[in-house]
Amino acid sequence: MTLHIVSKSPYSSSALTDCIGSFAEGDALLLIEDGVYALSGPASEKITISPVYCLEADTDARGLSIPENIQAIDDARWVSLCTEHNPIVSWFK
Amino acid sequence: MKFSLVIYGAPHASQSAASALRFARALLQQGHEIHRVFFYCDGVHNGSALSAPPQDETDLVAGWQSLQEQHRLDLVVCIAAAQRRGVLSESEALRLEKPAGNLAEGFELSGLGQLADAAARSDRLITFGA
Repeated sequence: MTLHIVSKSPYSSSALTDCIGSFAEGDALLLIEDGVYALSGPASEKITISPVYCLEADTDARGLSIPENIQAIDDARWVSLCTEHNPIVSWFK
Repeated sequence: MKFSLVIYGAPHASQSAASALRFARALLQQGHEIHRVFFYCDGVHNGSALSAPPQDETDLVAGWQSLQEQHRLDLVVCIAAAQRRGVLSESEALRLEKPAGNLAEGFELSGLGQLADAAARSDRLITFGA
């Protein structure tokens, strides 16, 4: 079960779209850095997959509020997500 | 669990290296092992001893160095990427007839084989893309 990590904004990169295209049953998505901009605006409607996590430090830094279907996590939970999934695939182009 | 990290981003150019350092600290705090940190592409700038950020900004090079000292981390800077970007050890500077080396203490230059080795020997390989 793959953990997908998206670190680029959906408004400047195709990372999120590419990731969703290869998302399989049992996978999880984590939004970090500018990837958290997927939580606001029209891009948020594209996230029909689950579970989706976001790094709270990165949403806080950008002043974004977190929708109900998204779980905000800290660095410690980020580590445990990485132990629970394999492989970890980063999307940043 | 044994982790290795690959870092593509230079300090201050993207959030990549800062995220990686935070993640590395969280990993070690939970008792996991870091087999290797591999600095690739623009990430090689994390190993420059000549970066001098203002005092009110995070000094990522110093952050990696202190983690290296505490946990004996294997911080590997890709040698081919580093030569192109002017990050050289003293011996490489001599060999390439450059005026000075600037590889920060705690880092070492090595080849892509170390990345392949890290992928093979770690339970998890995590990429921090720029």
